[in-house]
Amino acid sequence: MAEWLFEIFSEEIPSRMQKGAQEQLKALAETYLQQEKLSFKDIYTFITPRRLVLVVEGLPLNTEEKWEEKKGPRIDAPQMAIDGFLKTTGVRRDECQVRDTPKGQFLFVVQKDPGRPTADVLAQIAPLFLEKFRWAKSMRWGSLSTPWVRPIRGLLCLFNGNVVPFSYAGITTSNTTHGHRFLAPQPFSVDSFKDYQKKLRDHFVILDWQERRDLIQREVSRIAQDLTPAQDDELLDEVAGLTEWPIALKGSIDEHFMKLPLEVITTPMRVHQRYFPLFNSQGDLAPFFGVIANTQATDGGKTILTGNERVLRARLADAQFFWQQDQKHPLEHFNISLKTRLFHQHLGSLFDKVVRLEKLCGRIAAKIGADEKVVKRAALLSKADLASQMVGEFPELQGIMGRYYAQAQGETPEVFQAIEEHYWPRVSGGPIPDAVSSLILAIADRLDTLIGFFTIGITPSGSKDPFALRRAGLSLIALSLNPHFSLSIDEALGWAYDMYPWSELTPPTLKSKEKAVSDLWQFLLERLKFTLRDGQGSPYDHVDAVLAVARENPTFSDLALRVRALDQLMDREDGQNLLKAYKRASNILRIEEEKDKKQYEGYVLENNLTDSEEKDLFEHLSENSPKIQDLVKKGNFVQAVQDLAKFRPYVDRFFDKIIVNTKEEKIRINRLNILAFLRKTLHQVADFSKIEG
Amino acid sequence: MKTDFQTIILRLQEFWSQKGCVILQPYDAEVGAGTFHPATTLKALGQKPWRAAYVQPSRRPADGRYGENPNRLYRHHQYQVVLKPSPHNVQDIYLDSLKYIGMDPNLHDIRFVEDDWESPTLGASGLGWEVWAGGQEITQFTYFQQIGGFPCSPVSAELTYGLERLIMTLQGIENVYDLTWNDPKGEFPMSYGDVALQMEQEFSAFSFEHLDASMVFRHFEDAEAMCHHLVSHKLVLPAYEYCLKASHLFNLLDARGVLSVTERANYIGRVRSLARQCCELWMENSHG
Repeated sequence: MAEWLFEIFSEEIPSRMQKGAQEQLKALAETYLQQEKLSFKDIYTFITPRRLVLVVEGLPLNTEEKWEEKKGPRIDAPQMAIDGFLKTTGVRRDECQVRDTPKGQFLFVVQKDPGRPTADVLAQIAPLFLEKFRWAKSMRWGSLSTPWVRPIRGLLCLFNGNVVPFSYAGITTSNTTHGHRFLAPQPFSVDSFKDYQKKLRDHFVILDWQERRDLIQREVSRIAQDLTPAQDDELLDEVAGLTEWPIALKGSIDEHFMKLPLEVITTPMRVHQRYFPLFNSQGDLAPFFGVIANTQATDGGKTILTGNERVLRARLADAQFFWQQDQKHPLEHFNISLKTRLFHQHLGSLFDKVVRLEKLCGRIAAKIGADEKVVKRAALLSKADLASQMVGEFPELQGIMGRYYAQAQGETPEVFQAIEEHYWPRVSGGPIPDAVSSLILAIADRLDTLIGFFTIGITPSGSKDPFALRRAGLSLIALSLNPHFSLSIDEALGWAYDMYPWSELTPPTLKSKEKAVSDLWQFLLERLKFTLRDGQGSPYDHVDAVLAVARENPTFSDLALRVRALDQLMDREDGQNLLKAYKRASNILRIEEEKDKKQYEGYVLENNLTDSEEKDLFEHLSENSPKIQDLVKKGNFVQAVQDLAKFRPYVDRFFDKIIVNTKEEKIRINRLNILAFLRKTLHQVADFSKIEG
Repeated sequence: MKTDFQTIILRLQEFWSQKGCVILQPYDAEVGAGTFHPATTLKALGQKPWRAAYVQPSRRPADGRYGENPNRLYRHHQYQVVLKPSPHNVQDIYLDSLKYIGMDPNLHDIRFVEDDWESPTLGASGLGWEVWAGGQEITQFTYFQQIGGFPCSPVSAELTYGLERLIMTLQGIENVYDLTWNDPKGEFPMSYGDVALQMEQEFSAFSFEHLDASMVFRHFEDAEAMCHHLVSHKLVLPAYEYCLKASHLFNLLDARGVLSVTERANYIGRVRSLARQCCELWMENSHG
């Protein structure tokens, strides 16, 4: 058993691509080893900014010997064909076997493949998976045409301690590599993975990404002392991919900048400089920051720290300037600049969008009984900050600056909150606003975007979704799942369509209102299914069962509640039995309806009820069906579903004692109608025929 | 070691001339970056090896701040190096150049942070990094992949030092106008402000207040027409110069804020088309 160590040493690999690269290398190596029938015990990959590393343990020294059988031509084939076969297999005619097959007698050759040194196989497959490797973005360098993420500068390839010889991208493999770029620039040689890992550490490189990440977290806590670093996984990930030897330093922020809003200080720190903000025990931003250097400086980091503090000062001075400049005008003023900013070539300017949002928000507010004036004001100011200098410099502050500026000019809390929160959820699965005005604005913004693009024929397809419509759809669903907010999205889509002045816009493709709304509705239902399955773990069939009756009440929060109630019912024995009864009833109905060529609607004639079991079921249905309908209307699905479960004993007794297909026709029809009544009652909540069971 | 503005330039000239670069002078027309100099844009196309280095004053009208901002300038200076094909140890050579001007990597935290470069007006793009020293971006390091829509083969390495930022880091100062331009202990010390402040003030006023947009629109049309004419007569270098003029005129209009988003995209497209035609002509005549 032997070990394979392979290091692709390159110039700095972008941080964001490192995790994926590690996984891809592992998958490729596994595929190729399996293809070559090379068994192994373990496989690991590692990555730092300058190296991508593969380690495979427990490989055999040679591939296994095996017998190979080749079928040749028929024995009476033309001599040329036979000679050809003998030539390619390298055997004489008398070494061939003759075997009977259903198609006659054929020549066969059985040869032994003695296996070959694993090192030879590795020398062959290693360049192959370098070729097969796909980076999100790759480049060429020098006079070569080999693509890689950045120029490859070394290949270390050892099997069982010996160099596996091959060349790739003009580089010949060796047993040497380099440590830290500045702390230990001289090359060194290694003889095993253990040796490699240890020597890397001696040369100031921590090979393991996770170890570096953990170390960075500890380092930041160390310099923070009694302060608390912001928990920021994204930043930790990024810095782990920017360093081989991370060391934290603590810098300070000039007091006079501390009056700026929190995000205005922390955004340039995090996004541009990769600093960790530090907070005091009250949760307020402290005038200090953590910075991770990739080196152990000879002056203990003094130069690095003063340099970083100077850069931050310049950045914050800029931010302070923008903060002051932006507030020289009221927020509305920026709307003028939105007139020359396109929302989309065929959908007008951002200002046009604001005008539509104002109207649409008013309409929604009126419908659900919210304060129209507040929501319309928020809509008017919602996009203004996009033209501010601050957002121009820090686009991630959109909405947040709008809130600060609105607050500073004395807007009401509902208004300035809505300006910030209408961008929520900021990330998939992120928080959803609670305030009604924020919700309305957030929903209206997505409705406007989605219906606009769907109407001009731009819809997400495959991997192409340049306007992030899938995300807008998912956000719209997440927002309308808020149980305190009940709006029929189907209806609202129509309003959103009407807000566009379609005759003035003249896009090359223009769908009718009906078509645009129905396409978008279908798209949203698909997203909803996905959300319910992933979010609350509802099985597909439950979602389908509820969606099958969705048109009757297209409010997403209702649909979600129904699905959840259905999940709960189906978890219980009652529910499973009810489902069985339903299936039985609908099977009988299907067969009889086909035979009778008519649909039974559930109009039961009391006079034709003969047995007590059918009377009981009918009475129970008559009494409870309207109640259930009422509960559904009020959105109390849990109760409605619980009431459904109470049908079970009546249904069970009915099927135990009653024969539906009696000879007497009017009684048979009446009994079929009882079953139809049952079916109809159940369908008020969901289409039970879609449920698997 | 001396760190005044002109000494650093002299040291860089010395360093890169030792590396086989031809030391050129700035291109004598307004450009937005050292990349626009024909010694980079055109010479990076085609197969002939090429090494050059030069200072390029670069005008960014939108960044004009009347000399009141400590970091932003209407005109800054780039030190531009182009190496074709990119040498296998180009990063090491670059780091040596930093040591040569007194930036010790054992004191400064030097980092290569992903930053892919793209010039929509040149139809050019490349992959590389921003080089950081203690959190300050001091150089843009790019492997050209494409220029004027043509793939670069072989690939050139382009190193663009932002001289003001780099030297501010070396001098440890925060306001660009405080940079020492020549020897501060010399006979006649001059600061960056002494040399460049008036230009910043006057050109900011020019581009934000006095620029006559309709006149510049006209100049753009003229430059474009001249470029087309010169291309049709296969005079690639003058044609390219008029492409540069169109590009600068576009920058002026952009800074003046008179272009809507669609118009802006349209003007960028027109400059790119000129650049593409010049590059095509360059390739046809196999100057590369």
